[in-house]
Amino acid sequence: MAKTRVTGGCQCGAVRYALHAPFSNSSICHCRMCQKAFGAFYAPLAGVPLDSFEVTRGTLAIFRSSDAVERGFCRDCGTPLTFRFLAEPKIDVSIGSLDDPSIARPVIQYGIEARIAWVGDLDELPGEITEAPGSEARAEFIKRTNRQHPDHDTDRWPPEGAGR
Amino acid sequence: MASDRLSGGCQCGAVRYALHEEPGDPHICHCRMCQKAFGSFFAPLTGVPREKFELTRGELATFMSSDQAERGFCRDCGTPLTFRYLHSPRIAVSIGSLDEPEKIPPANQYGIEGRLSWFAGLAKLPGEKSTEDDNPDLAGRIAASNHQHPDHDTAEWPLAGKGR
Repeated sequence: MAKTRVTGGCQCGAVRYALHAPFSNSSICHCRMCQKAFGAFYAPLAGVPLDSFEVTRGTLAIFRSSDAVERGFCRDCGTPLTFRFLAEPKIDVSIGSLDDPSIARPVIQYGIEARIAWVGDLDELPGEITEAPGSEARAEFIKRTNRQHPDHDTDRWPPEGAGR
Repeated sequence: MASDRLSGGCQCGAVRYALHEEPGDPHICHCRMCQKAFGSFFAPLTGVPREKFELTRGELATFMSSDQAERGFCRDCGTPLTFRYLHSPRIAVSIGSLDEPEKIPPANQYGIEGRLSWFAGLAKLPGEKSTEDDNPDLAGRIAASNHQHPDHDTAEWPLAGKGR
């Protein structure tokens, strides 16, 4: 049986991690601390036992948002990466930093005292694709000069010859 | 008029900003670059002309996610703060980093080629408990040692005598 190994990392690729156990839970947290830490409406988090979390490249930068909690991020690009209660033998990763976030569908919401009234209506907003008519040239330029780490592990990063 | 100035900043308070115009084009972007940059399912953004964006404390750290786009964040706590196309006269801020994010409901979804299939169901997930109800002891310890910057400007930060 293949051992569980799920990978992820920050946008720039300076920090990469691997998870060696299945998620124990997957959630979104609406509390105001998670909102501000993620610059978003909620934090999407999935947890594994602490000893099943491995940083495979770089170093997590840490902000202790209270004496009970450490939040890990990439100091080079800012991506919010981890969350952990210091008293617990568990660590959560941000679901969007997983190379395949679709595998960590949330099952519960936390911090609903701060849930924004209209957050449940977002999926009904009008939508368009990145390469919408009129935006093709820009999308192509971004693709050509994309510095985001690919959604899989790499032997070397950034690629040789790539300007940063 | 109070609505002429919106304020916001990162979780730790090292970076604070003010918007001197009502921000426009509030949206969420599901593209894979925004997902990874925010560690989330989408980036919530709203923009103003650059000259209406003012850093009122600290400096933005930036990552050029492509030659087209610069993303600003806080190097001390990681909060994703800004997004701008280099050729645009505007700059967007992350809606969750605003001190009052509920004032800026998104009007559009972009990058829907990257939208997660279960995005629409998130609001219907179980979640009846507030942080306080869920674990009052933990919530109390967090409140007593909260290092998050308050949701308004401060004359001085961190507060004198408050260890980080």
